[in-house]
Amino acid sequence: MTTALTQGLERIPDQIGYLVISEDGVLASAGELENDERTAGVIMQMVQTACKFRLHGTADPPFKRLSVMFEDHAYLVTVSGQKVFVVKRQSNQREPISV
Amino acid sequence: MESTLEQHLDDTMKNPAIVGVLCTDQQGHNLGCRGSLSDEHGGVVSVLARQAASLMRDPTDTPTVCLESDSGNILMKTHGSITVAVHKMAS
Amino acid sequence: MGCCYSSETETTEQDRDERKPLIPHPNPDSKPINGAERNPANLPSTRTDEQALLTSILTKTALNIIDVSAADSQGMEQHEYMDKARQYSTKLAVLSNTLSQKKPAPLPSLTTQPHQVLASDLVPYSDMQQVSKIAAYAYSAISQIKVDAKEELVVQFAIP
Repeated sequence: MTTALTQGLERIPDQIGYLVISEDGVLASAGELENDERTAGVIMQMVQTACKFRLHGTADPPFKRLSVMFEDHAYLVTVSGQKVFVVKRQSNQREPISV
Repeated sequence: MESTLEQHLDDTMKNPAIVGVLCTDQQGHNLGCRGSLSDEHGGVVSVLARQAASLMRDPTDTPTVCLESDSGNILMKTHGSITVAVHKMAS
Repeated sequence: MGCCYSSETETTEQDRDERKPLIPHPNPDSKPINGAERNPANLPSTRTDEQALLTSILTKTALNIIDVSAADSQGMEQHEYMDKARQYSTKLAVLSNTLSQKKPAPLPSLTTQPHQVLASDLVPYSDMQQVSKIAAYAYSAISQIKVDAKEELVVQFAIP
């Protein structure tokens, strides 16, 4: 069961770590997020806060993905089937692409 | 004294892709807002920014928190004691 | 808190007022105020008016003040107290049982394709720069809002 959850996460480009969290705790972790209970806790709090966000009286949270972007890395978070999926990705975005 | 901020918010909204902007302090008090973002969003914005800050490793690298959807993104960034949220539609 | 009383009058009058009971004696005709005995008979009538004024102010304050420290607490019998304590703990026990059964609100599902969602492109750096600039401008605009002190908030009341 865990392999099905994590296989897809492992294949994400530039990923340097991931977490799968349920209401009972961390189900899986790897890379830079391996055993990182603290980050898992913060992310869970953020998800619960963000899910309260509503735009113009709509019934559902207005987003599919929550991301926390830093200079050279980012945490991307989503919720599916009562589980929170977190992936840490490297981002080398210093030079904006000029068109 | 608040006219500079008010003008800045108006200028921000002139960008056709931006449909909402909000400015809040650390306690979630609304300092100014336009469009799709209003008073009721101040609390969530300030709390999200504070929670994200606890993930910082470098104190000079404040994170940008984004709520992403197919139609557009809401980006939040803290500067000093205030947090700004911008609702930008997908181009 | 702040200045509750201040006066520029003579010490004798101040002493007299400090020692005066807050709630005046129910039978005011019985005894003249000590001060009246102390002061010589050649007091001008304005002094007595002042006294009357001060007395009325004191009476009004005494009637309005609620002195928490002097409040007489109604004594409770030991068995009454034990009874009440037992009632409260039973009530609390019942309430805490019902509370612990409440589960936190379930998280809404944001997508059925978590891997796809997490793999898609990051928010463009240009957008992040744009919001960063908006935030910086907003911060400097707000720094212009400050308290403009025009006059003193606390003033000294002078009783002529």
